[in-house]
This record gives sequence, C-alpha cells and structure tokens, in this order.
Amino acid sequence: MSESQTYAYDQLKIDLNVEKNSYVVRFLGKSFLKDPSEFVLPILWKALQEAIVAGKRIVIDFRDLAYMNSSTLTPVIKILERVRVGRGEITIEYRKSMKWQDISFSALVIFQTPDRRIEIIGVD
Amino acid sequence: MNNEGVEMDRFECGTEAATPMSGSLELCVDSDWAQMGRVNEDIYRFLVSCKLSEELAARYTMVACELTENGIKYGNPDKSPGGVHVRIRLEGGEIYLEVSSAVGDESKPFLVELDRTIQWARGFQDPFEAYIARLRAISHEPLDIDRSGLGLVRITYEGRAALDFYLEEDRTLSVSAVSQLNN
Repeated sequence: MSESQTYAYDQLKIDLNVEKNSYVVRFLGKSFLKDPSEFVLPILWKALQEAIVAGKRIVIDFRDLAYMNSSTLTPVIKILERVRVGRGEITIEYRKSMKWQDISFSALVIFQTPDRRIEIIGVD
Repeated sequence: MNNEGVEMDRFECGTEAATPMSGSLELCVDSDWAQMGRVNEDIYRFLVSCKLSEELAARYTMVACELTENGIKYGNPDKSPGGVHVRIRLEGGEIYLEVSSAVGDESKPFLVELDRTIQWARGFQDPFEAYIARLRAISHEPLDIDRSGLGLVRITYEGRAALDFYLEEDRTLSVSAVSQLNN
C-alpha cells in the first residue's frame, strides 16, 4: 500500500509518495521560490520526520525539475546537514545528463556519509 | 508597461550565422515575484534564438534570473512599474548580463552583503571552492534564516561568470555578470 500527496506552488509541483521502504519526494517543473523557508522546507522537514519515525529512507528526486533558483536548494542543504549530524537516511537523485543539475547537485556529495545514510546519486 | 509586468524593450538577434551571434535583450520588470516565470521564459527563448546551445541558454538564464531576483527583492523601493531593468548583450564571443534598479536606504544591508560576497568569492582561485564553502556555511544556519547569498556564488560557479556592481550617483544599482561563451 502507498500513500501519495501533491503540493503545488506557481510552476513547481512536489509529489510525495509513501512507499514500502521509503518516502519519495519528487520535484517537477520550475521553482522560483522567493524565500528558502517557504513551501519546500516544511514539506521536506515533515517528510523527513515521518520517515525517521517509520524507519524509512527519504528519497528526493530532482530528475524532472527543469529549473530552480538558489532559494530552492537552500532548504535541501540544511536538511542534509541535519541528517548528517543526526538521524535519518536520505538519497538525492538528479539527472546527470542535464548539465545544470549535474553541476548543482553533484556538489552535494560533500554531505555524503561513509555509511551511505546520505547518498547523492546522478542518474543517466 | 503591459499587463503582464514584463516589457520587452528590444529583442534583436541576427539570423545569418550558425554559431553564437551578437544580439541584445532588454526587459523592464515589475517588482512582482510572480513575473519570474515569464522572465525566465523570455530570456531562455532569446538566448536560444541567438544560437546558444540548450546548455548555455540554461546556464545564462539562471545567471540573469538570479540577478533579477535580487533586483526585485532589494531594489526598486518605490515599486515603479518596470523598475527592474534586465539587459543581456552577446558580442565578440562574450555575454554580458546586467540588472539595474533604484536602491534606497533600506537596501544598505544588501549593498554591504553584495560587496562582501563578491570580494569573498574573488578570494577563491576556483569558483567551485567558493561554492562548496558557501554550501557548508548555509548548512549550519538555522532553518528559518532566509538570506543565503548562494545565488551570487552560484553565478560564479555554475554560471562561470565574473560578477561586479556599481552604484551611480542617482542611486541606481547595476549588478553585472560577464562570461566567455566558450568558457
């Protein structure tokens, strides 16, 4: 059984699917968020807390995101650091063949942990 | 000013060449965040029409949009219609992107931060190192702090552009990014 929820803000859509072993948060469209703490942060934070309680990994999938401003990345960075020093398991997936995604997201490898609790994965 | 908040003053691009060509675009944007989608589309379309690859068009659209967002956030305090000016010029294998807007006393903290961030980023030999340092700094900030300064550093790293700014006597702030198209 899986649950799903969709959030929309301007041209950005976020799909949240609770699957057997993970919470999958999928970003679609274009993101022009004005403030980092609006919209994205509450969704990611709530999903992370629920995933931790359920003993599941959270997967943040950016592959279908066509554009994002820097305010969209900021909450992701903060959440990665909270997981790195605390609890939880998180995977970031991006599209390696999209140059801007490769450049932006591959840098997040600095948050990757040796035990793979945090994984940054470029998918072709 | 049209009803949609973005006025396209000039949209010029030659059509005879197969390689990136010269051309210029000027947009007058309202201080309305809802315009960013339209600004993004207009700039991307212009850059593709100038024969830039999709990769380069996406890269410089990001640069122009990050600059425009700052112009909307911190400039044009009177909210004059079309008060944020976006200029893009392609010439001689170089792209020049500039966003200008009036600034008031309330923009002082932004000007200080702008100067500090640009000087700080110039202190790194490789923009990637500046970007990583910025990511690390942001990661430790409280969740509810909104100002990150990541946009400017992203312009130097992902946009491979040199940043500069100047404040004119009439208190018009222009922030520019310049990049070689073969960079």
